Amino acid sequence: MWTIDRRAGVPENKSDVLQGTLDLMVLKTLESMGPLHGYGLARRIEQVSGDTVALNQGTIYPALLRLEQRGWVKAEWGISETGRRAKFYSLTRSGRKQIGQETENWERIAATMARFLAPAK
Amino acid sequence: MHWIRILLSRCAALFRRPQLDADLDEELCAHIDLAIEENRTRGMNEQQARTAALCAFGGVTQIRETYRVQRGLPRLEEAARDIRYVVRRLRKSPGFALTAILTLALGIGAVTSVFSVVNAVLLRPFAFPGPDRLVVMREIQIEAGGERWLIPDNYRHFMRLKKDSKTIEDATIFQQRGMSISPTGDHPRIVGTVTASPNLFAVLGVQPVLGRAFVNGDAEKGAANVVVLSYEGWQTFFAGDPKAVGQTLRIGGEPNTVIGVLGPGMRFPQIALAPKIAFQEAALDALLYQPFVPGDRDLSADMGNFNYKAIARLKPGVTLAQANAELEELQQAYTLSAHLPMHLGAALTPLTQDVASGVSGALWLLFAAVGAVLLIACVNLANLQLARAVNAESETAVRAALGASRGQLVRLRLTESLVLAIAGGAAGTALAFGGVRLLLAMAPADLPRLDEVRVSLPVLVFSAGLSIAAAIVFGMLPALRSLRVAPQAALKANQTRAANTQQGQRTRSLMVAAQVACTVVLLIVTSLALRSFSRLVSQNRGFDSSHVTLAQVDLFAPQYGDFSAAAAKTAKLSFADRTLAALNQLPGVESVALTSVTPLTGETWVDTISRPDHPVRPEQEPRINVRWVDPGYIPTMRIPLISGRNIAASDRANPYVVLISERTAREAFGGEDPVGKKIDGLVPDDKHPMTVIGVVADTRINGLRNTAAMVYIPYWAFTPWTLSFLVRSSRPSDALIPEMRRALWQIDPQVAIPTLKSMDEQVNESVAADRFQALVLSGFGAAALLLALLGVYGVLAYSVSLRRREFGIRIALGSGKSALVGLVLRQAVQPVLLGTGVGLVMALIALRWVRSLLYETPVMDPLAVGGSVLLLLVAAALAAIVPARRAASTDPMRALRME
Repeated sequence: MWTIDRRAGVPENKSDVLQGTLDLMVLKTLESMGPLHGYGLARRIEQVSGDTVALNQGTIYPALLRLEQRGWVKAEWGISETGRRAKFYSLTRSGRKQIGQETENWERIAATMARFLAPAK
Repeated sequence: MHWIRILLSRCAALFRRPQLDADLDEELCAHIDLAIEENRTRGMNEQQARTAALCAFGGVTQIRETYRVQRGLPRLEEAARDIRYVVRRLRKSPGFALTAILTLALGIGAVTSVFSVVNAVLLRPFAFPGPDRLVVMREIQIEAGGERWLIPDNYRHFMRLKKDSKTIEDATIFQQRGMSISPTGDHPRIVGTVTASPNLFAVLGVQPVLGRAFVNGDAEKGAANVVVLSYEGWQTFFAGDPKAVGQTLRIGGEPNTVIGVLGPGMRFPQIALAPKIAFQEAALDALLYQPFVPGDRDLSADMGNFNYKAIARLKPGVTLAQANAELEELQQAYTLSAHLPMHLGAALTPLTQDVASGVSGALWLLFAAVGAVLLIACVNLANLQLARAVNAESETAVRAALGASRGQLVRLRLTESLVLAIAGGAAGTALAFGGVRLLLAMAPADLPRLDEVRVSLPVLVFSAGLSIAAAIVFGMLPALRSLRVAPQAALKANQTRAANTQQGQRTRSLMVAAQVACTVVLLIVTSLALRSFSRLVSQNRGFDSSHVTLAQVDLFAPQYGDFSAAAAKTAKLSFADRTLAALNQLPGVESVALTSVTPLTGETWVDTISRPDHPVRPEQEPRINVRWVDPGYIPTMRIPLISGRNIAASDRANPYVVLISERTAREAFGGEDPVGKKIDGLVPDDKHPMTVIGVVADTRINGLRNTAAMVYIPYWAFTPWTLSFLVRSSRPSDALIPEMRRALWQIDPQVAIPTLKSMDEQVNESVAADRFQALVLSGFGAAALLLALLGVYGVLAYSVSLRRREFGIRIALGSGKSALVGLVLRQAVQPVLLGTGVGLVMALIALRWVRSLLYETPVMDPLAVGGSVLLLLVAAALAAIVPARRAASTDPMRALRME
């Protein structure tokens, strides 16, 4: 069977990826790393987050499709470093522009949340 | 603009599914392969590496599903799947599908056809710019009792109002009449003309496509005769010759210069002089437009001369109420300041509404009736759908158990209704094209704007909307029912037993009751219309139309002149004399007669009687219809003479004698004996007093609906330009008509004969609108009755088929056949009686509104109401008896073995 319980093997202290944050992670990763295939992206996100995020690697694909539909990333078939045919994703111009806006959004949310969580003075 | 890009990419994905699926699979495989490779480099064996890779990836199937949802348009795909499924299921029960589609097609086709007429006649604005600012302007005569009569316009009053009003932008005054035209020098024909003030086209917002419109100089005394042709007129008289402008057209024998041609869209609206007052010529399509040159009478007469129609254009932003109030005030002020002996008001009606005013009630009634038929058909379909939903309960239960959401269950059933409705709607729209033609063939020719009736875009939109509404009406209940299915119970239960729940039975009975109620209303309305029509044609008319043939002759040629010429007077008189003599010579003729107005063409030449011995205020003078006749008229029409004597040949020397009808005698002379009394002169431009010589019976000669106050005067005193010759003969009209035409044209080949037919035909045509209404309503009533019958039958038959087992047990236990028949019939009695009761109450409300459309028929006519209810009950009993007998003939052994 291909199907495996999503939750299997996820340690308790890992948190689910917040809705919408995955998109920004993908964009940011592509910005710093250049074109990447899906697996590479997933691994990179896991590494950067220090394995604190419970990312089902597969969820990256609907996210990539979403970004592609918006015109922020584009995909091309290419050959991986190990010689496997794979789809490589890269940022488009409007995707690059979008990063600034998304980052701003996220910082605003984070700052707001931080204010809530800060110990009362 | 993101969403557009997203939508486009999603739509594109719909068509490349296999390719995209393969791509995704390869991409996911690559992911797993890459992960395995990396895991192996970390020292895992093949098996471990694969497991870890899959583990980190998550559920492949879920990801694929999420991806697909993100990629395409899942709703659309789901809908497509539902539709495919529904179509497959419907093809499995073709009988049901065909019945449903056919029922809907007929219903929607009928409603759409009637709506095409309603749309063209009542709703569609005229094709003039700013049509909502165009209003018809009339004067009002306010009687002593406060009663207000709409009357046509007086020229002086019109000019004054036009000058003083601040709410009216511009207004035009006009007359419509028939003129004789003979472009090839052949026998002339009568065509409709509009004689209007020169600003007519400016008020309407119409420009000639060739040549020019009128200018003020065209309407001055002594100006050259000019004419503007309608597009049809241009085609008819000049075969569309582009050089027609500048050429000459002889109208009534007089040369007229063509100055312009109008575009093909310009159709002159049919406006009545006033309600109840109609000229036959108004019904003719206007082919020619001439400038109106006001005569001395127009410029001077403040009283009388109410002979004109007017159209005004309101200033932008002015409401109808404001304009009405302003004109009313101006008129009343003028009445006072000019010391007029009558009180005048003014009334504006929107043009579209005014043109349709005579028929709107009847058309809305037909529309309501056909709508009710569709509603009844929808209830039938709802019943069928309900039965299908009940039969499919176990299927629904399985779906629910497998996790179908409530929304999905409802959607599936609604989709079925929608598919049926769209198929039925499409077929119905196709039928509507035929239906419109059928209606047009049946419709009375004087229905306004008939030539505009067609299945147009708004009609198609209406039809599509109607189909969807129908689907919701008949699909909602069964769809909601699938929500109530408890999977466990339905799966456990035997299918048929689950079906016959108390609840389902009640819903079906209620629907039958609703159907019966609608049918009762429709049947009552139909039978009232039939009663009204039969009363209209069968009552005593006061004249005998059988064996009479009628020829109307229009003397529109220069030698017959206009009002002033003395020579013309002799010419007309001599034409009438010679024609009477010639017609008398025809073989088999019993008698011939002459009258000035073709019978059954409405009230015309309306004047008032004033008595020198008994003067009253002008507004209290009785209104009468003047007819110029010969001595043969009363005997030829077989109108009984009540007192005094008929006009005689000896009156020719002193023709100032009048015959009056009983109603005139009553209204003008009260209880006195009118014979021998004097009245003021009624002859145009002749004040010679007249003597009443006799009283004749009332007739319905202007129209079968009413008798009119008549005054008959010998044609020797005045001979009008329109003469109607009547020939009474035992020979058939078909044989007489060519002989009469030949005789008339032998006397003068240049007179026009617009009407030549039997009097019976003329009578029939005068009630064409009533016949049309009765006929169409009968069709709808019959359809409703049939549908209701099927409804009652269907519900009972279905219930009997579900209860076979129960009936088997009853018979086995010794129940008699008649008891079983009674059992089933009782089941029908409740909804039918309930429906009849509700229907009667609804009829009470609806009939208030129908009352005005009926002719001398009380809305609670016992025969109509009782007959309708009885007819329905008999039909329902017939529909119920078949399933009841089937129940009684259940074979107990087979019924018990059935499961």
